[in-house]
Amino acid sequence: MSLPLHLRSYREKSKDEYTRDFFNVPTQSSLPSSSSDTPSVVKIRDKGYRNYENDQLQGMDINAVISVEGKEEVYAGRLSLLPPFLCFISLDRKSCRCTIPLYTIRRVERLNSRAGVFALSLATWHGMRIILQLTSLLPTAEHFAILLRDALKSQLAAMKQLKPFLPSLYSEYLLSSPLATSTGQQQTDHLLLGTELSEKPNATAPEGEGDLRGPGGEGKGIYQRGLGETFGFPGDARKMRERSKMKLWREYFMIHGRNLTLLRYPPFQRLLQVGLPSRLRGELWEVMSGSVYLRFANPETYGLLLSQNAGKSSQSTDEIEKDLNRSLPEYKAYQSEEGLARLRRVLVAYSFRNPELGYCQALNIVVAGLLIYMSEEQAFWLLEVLCDRILPGYYSPSMEGTLLDQRVFESLVHRCLPMIQEHFVSVDVQISVASLPWFLSLYINSMPLIFAFRIVDCVLAMGVKVLFQIGLAVLKINGEALLEITDDGMFINLMRSYFSTIGNSAHPDHPDPRVRAITNFQELLVVAFREFNVITDETITAERKRLRAIISDEIEKFSKRAAVRNLKNIGKFHKDQIGIIYDHYFSAICSPEAGPSTYTGNSLPGDQFDQPRIQVDAQGRVETRIDHRTFRVFLSQIATWAREETVTTNAFIQRTDRRVADHELIDRLYFAWDSQNQGTLSLQDVVLGLNRVMTAGLMESIEWFFELHDKDKDGFLTKDEVIQLSESLLFIFRNEPGDIYLAAVSKFILNAYEFGDATAPAGSVDEKVPINGDGETASGARERSDSSAGPHNLPYLNLATFRMVVLADELLENFFANDLTASFQLEQTEDEDYHQAHQRSEGLLGGLMNLVVTNENKNRLHRLADGFGAALGKHAEWRKPSLGKSSGTDPTLSSSSSTDLKARESLLTPAQQAGQFQRPSISPGSSRTRSSSAVSQSSTKTTDTTGTTTPDDKRSLADVEMRYREESEMVKAAQEAVMHRPNFAIDAIGDSDDEGGEGDDEGVMDEVEAFLKAHGADDEGLKGEQKKVAEDLLKAEPMGVKKKAKETNNLVDL
Amino acid sequence: MSEETPIKAVQVKLVLLGEAAVGKSSLVLRFCQGDFNENTSPTIGAAFLTQKCRLENRIVKFEIWDTAGQERFHSLAPMYYRNAQAAVVVYDITKAASLEKAKAWVKELQRQANANIVIALVGNKVDLVSDSTTKPTEPTKVKTEENEEETEDNEVDAEEGEEEETTPSPAEENTSDDIRQVPTAEAEAYAKESGLLFFEASAKTGHNVGEIFTEIAKTIPFDTISPKPTTTSSGNNRRSTNNNENNNVNLGDNQQAKKGGCC
Repeated sequence: MSLPLHLRSYREKSKDEYTRDFFNVPTQSSLPSSSSDTPSVVKIRDKGYRNYENDQLQGMDINAVISVEGKEEVYAGRLSLLPPFLCFISLDRKSCRCTIPLYTIRRVERLNSRAGVFALSLATWHGMRIILQLTSLLPTAEHFAILLRDALKSQLAAMKQLKPFLPSLYSEYLLSSPLATSTGQQQTDHLLLGTELSEKPNATAPEGEGDLRGPGGEGKGIYQRGLGETFGFPGDARKMRERSKMKLWREYFMIHGRNLTLLRYPPFQRLLQVGLPSRLRGELWEVMSGSVYLRFANPETYGLLLSQNAGKSSQSTDEIEKDLNRSLPEYKAYQSEEGLARLRRVLVAYSFRNPELGYCQALNIVVAGLLIYMSEEQAFWLLEVLCDRILPGYYSPSMEGTLLDQRVFESLVHRCLPMIQEHFVSVDVQISVASLPWFLSLYINSMPLIFAFRIVDCVLAMGVKVLFQIGLAVLKINGEALLEITDDGMFINLMRSYFSTIGNSAHPDHPDPRVRAITNFQELLVVAFREFNVITDETITAERKRLRAIISDEIEKFSKRAAVRNLKNIGKFHKDQIGIIYDHYFSAICSPEAGPSTYTGNSLPGDQFDQPRIQVDAQGRVETRIDHRTFRVFLSQIATWAREETVTTNAFIQRTDRRVADHELIDRLYFAWDSQNQGTLSLQDVVLGLNRVMTAGLMESIEWFFELHDKDKDGFLTKDEVIQLSESLLFIFRNEPGDIYLAAVSKFILNAYEFGDATAPAGSVDEKVPINGDGETASGARERSDSSAGPHNLPYLNLATFRMVVLADELLENFFANDLTASFQLEQTEDEDYHQAHQRSEGLLGGLMNLVVTNENKNRLHRLADGFGAALGKHAEWRKPSLGKSSGTDPTLSSSSSTDLKARESLLTPAQQAGQFQRPSISPGSSRTRSSSAVSQSSTKTTDTTGTTTPDDKRSLADVEMRYREESEMVKAAQEAVMHRPNFAIDAIGDSDDEGGEGDDEGVMDEVEAFLKAHGADDEGLKGEQKKVAEDLLKAEPMGVKKKAKETNNLVDL
Repeated sequence: MSEETPIKAVQVKLVLLGEAAVGKSSLVLRFCQGDFNENTSPTIGAAFLTQKCRLENRIVKFEIWDTAGQERFHSLAPMYYRNAQAAVVVYDITKAASLEKAKAWVKELQRQANANIVIALVGNKVDLVSDSTTKPTEPTKVKTEENEEETEDNEVDAEEGEEEETTPSPAEENTSDDIRQVPTAEAEAYAKESGLLFFEASAKTGHNVGEIFTEIAKTIPFDTISPKPTTTSSGNNRRSTNNNENNNVNLGDNQQAKKGGCC
């Protein structure tokens, strides 16, 4: 049983992180930092808010206009410096975009041009010249330039790695050989005539494999390649116009840069949507997704992972082994040992890279797909990007990302295709039964490979929204048939038959051959990208945000149910009580007090997934267990004496602060409950442990308490242990008012010694004279006498005597008969719907409330109130007693504290206690309000204690209670205000006035042809004056020696 | 069976559950082989297959959801056992822990699934024990060390269970009795107590496989489910006709909506 702990530590991404994601820029933590010499090959999870180190380079955003030498188009947009990357996105967020690693920039110059224009010229590794006109205010632009310079400087070392790295990319090979222009021309001509996948034989295309290898290629070169190079790529190369596409890409690369310096201009989108050529696909995948930056930055990692873990096996490796033969078995390579070996290595390496995720079914399909086009190392890094960024949480042990996105998808269907949604609801069919595999395997398992990979192309280029757009389009296209289905079987069969005919003509009977040639798949893309272009990254983000809390709660409830059900022995507890124990167990693990043991900043990389808490049991199942520190937190939630409760009153409010207590007694319980001596406790251990202490009567309580202190389990306490037991009692009684408990314990010690002397086994009675006769005992005693007073360690007091001593004292008898058992209380925690309750509200008011309701501010408020209280002379603090027996513990309220003892003694008639403490108490409590309000909590507590107070006290307490109730009402109201959140999510999907550029509309239908049209018609670029400025800049001379120039020299020298 | 008979086929939704590698997929493949062979793809979430089963008086068409056994897919299972009329919970007779998992599944089904669901408990891989009759064999612990080693082998073997049909067990011949970790009597007693159908079967040899499904078909209370047959005409009247009307009316709307971008 493994608990979904990570859900609680989830936090929304910051704006900066979203920007990084958008540009496919890896987080700084995933790039090896200069400080650590030996980068870890095991993934380090990003925990909470990162502290930006001082040496980290600062990023900055600025308005800019971009133009490239040799290109007409000029785009205005936003330039972001995200060290070590420079990124640009045009204002319309689609026409022009680029992510350029700073290590590919050879030269930066400030251009000398008209006054008021701050322009930089970047020369890239591939000889491209990019002009950036910084259109913000001059000081801002200058600041940007300084940051850019610093960032560039930091990348000097990385530049040296560029040269050996680049040959691993096919595009370098492609452009290294001259193009045979004549055949190229022919190809272009041919392209104008037909559409993709036409049935007509392609007369002009050269036959054979050679035409796929790119101009002049024989498949030589040292670029990294996938299985396809050996076993053949899926699909008919000729039908897919591989050669023409390759040529177009080659031309594109010449102007717009390639691989690491690739700029995305409008033609890019069109080339993308007609399907990437097989040989370039792997490279473009890693460039578009940004995984290439990881591969560049971590050249050793993959090899190290394999060599370090060679021969190791784990649950993941076993599962991987089982699925190898079920991964795209129809593809030739996966019928061969070579293909299977590659698949195995990548999956195994990743399972060791990210042990928390390990291996998830469906990854085998995805990786099998990737490996057709990519080398192992390329696929490995792309897998990392997929799991981390593109499909976050899809493959994790609780698969929360999958569940979340399925819910998001349902909600989008509800909004975009309400008819279908309604019908599905009416026939009680869940869309997920079909759509789940679409998302989990990126459609690779759902439709013929050649089409599925074209969807993968788009997903990697444009992000996860494509999965949703395609899914919606599939439903929309099949809309009429879907309205006929009556059960999920029909649904599945319908989807299956649609996907199996996706290569067929969408309009088989149309007279126009060009229309006839349009396949179902092309139609699908058109619908997806045109009708559902309103589904944007923001839509997905907003919907995920809206639904995450619900999903997280569901997962937690589900795993709670499963965990409770899977307990082998629940003792005498009721299921609800087990649920409460589970909640405490879980919340203890998530509590910050339990955190430091595993979340210390300097922890070893291997520790990052809570090694001590997650263990693999004999059956290979992963199990969550709690360590010692967590147990203390856990117990403090249940046992009244295992926490310090400080009640503070000032003029304004009363609150109760809880802290976790620390005492040897708690450690003793911990070790006593560790039934399997594992050093950690499972939920089962805890349940059985609690079962014993909470259901015990007088004799049983005495017995377990005795056993707890009998370390060697010989049935005797030593004198030391008697003292320790007394200390334990004093610890429990530490906050009880008055001194009757102290007196009782003193009496207990005296009695214990008195009775003990009489009943102790021979040889240990005389504590003054060490015994010499019995060799074994004596030597044992001598050994121990170094650390403690020798004979104190001899067996001394047995259970019967102990019992006698206890029963001799009324107070202790009562304690063991009732109070001890009752001190363990199962109260509902705040856990139900934790995530929804903790979801931050949006909007102006919500934002304000959030500001107030953070813990830190709450503490600040408390301190402030205390300050006022102190000033007014009304500030008071006292410790809450653990047993809660004594009334009037509140000094400001009690009529007289001297009534304590009497009240207590008179109260504790056995009959009354029996009524009150027979069973472990459950008080539902006001769980919601407690979450952020200590006030209401204290009111609950007060209510609890009233049960045992005298009528006099009850009166005064009732007053207090009323006051608190009023206060908690107020708090509740405030809470509700906080909880209220406006509907916002997908409101954006209204009428979109942005109907997509002309180019996009035609881009898909007319495929490559559209690309060949003059690009000038594109109206997304800048016009007129601004364009002229940009053009002038192209001719502009670099400015004289400035700060830049120095560094420029450096760069040039390289 | 492919030939249409005048008798209407009754549709039954059946879900297969069980620990990973107990041979769920193999059982279904064995059952469905021949008549149905459309999809042999790996299980992502669940594989969907159909197979007809002929009884004396009716034909039952099973719609089988073969769920993924990997633990992390557990939370997806409710999606598949919703509305299921039958469930086959599979364990591996050579792996005691798999019965525990099976029991957990049964508990979950009894609490979360259809009230009338027919559950069959199936111990798979009886081909691994020579004596496939009911002689209960005690686990190996009482035997020699040598045997304990054998047990480990078996466990490894069991983990590759999905390929059981093609991979013969190394321990199969000689020490077959020692492999069994779940005595028939124990599982049977549990099944009886929980009101389950019980079988020991072998996907490899086909032993008892057909019987599982036939027996389920016989046990299902058809009176309660017959209103939802494969054809939409009978039963379920109010709702389905309503829907149809709505559909017809709305379809036009829908097409209109398409043009305007229906969201």
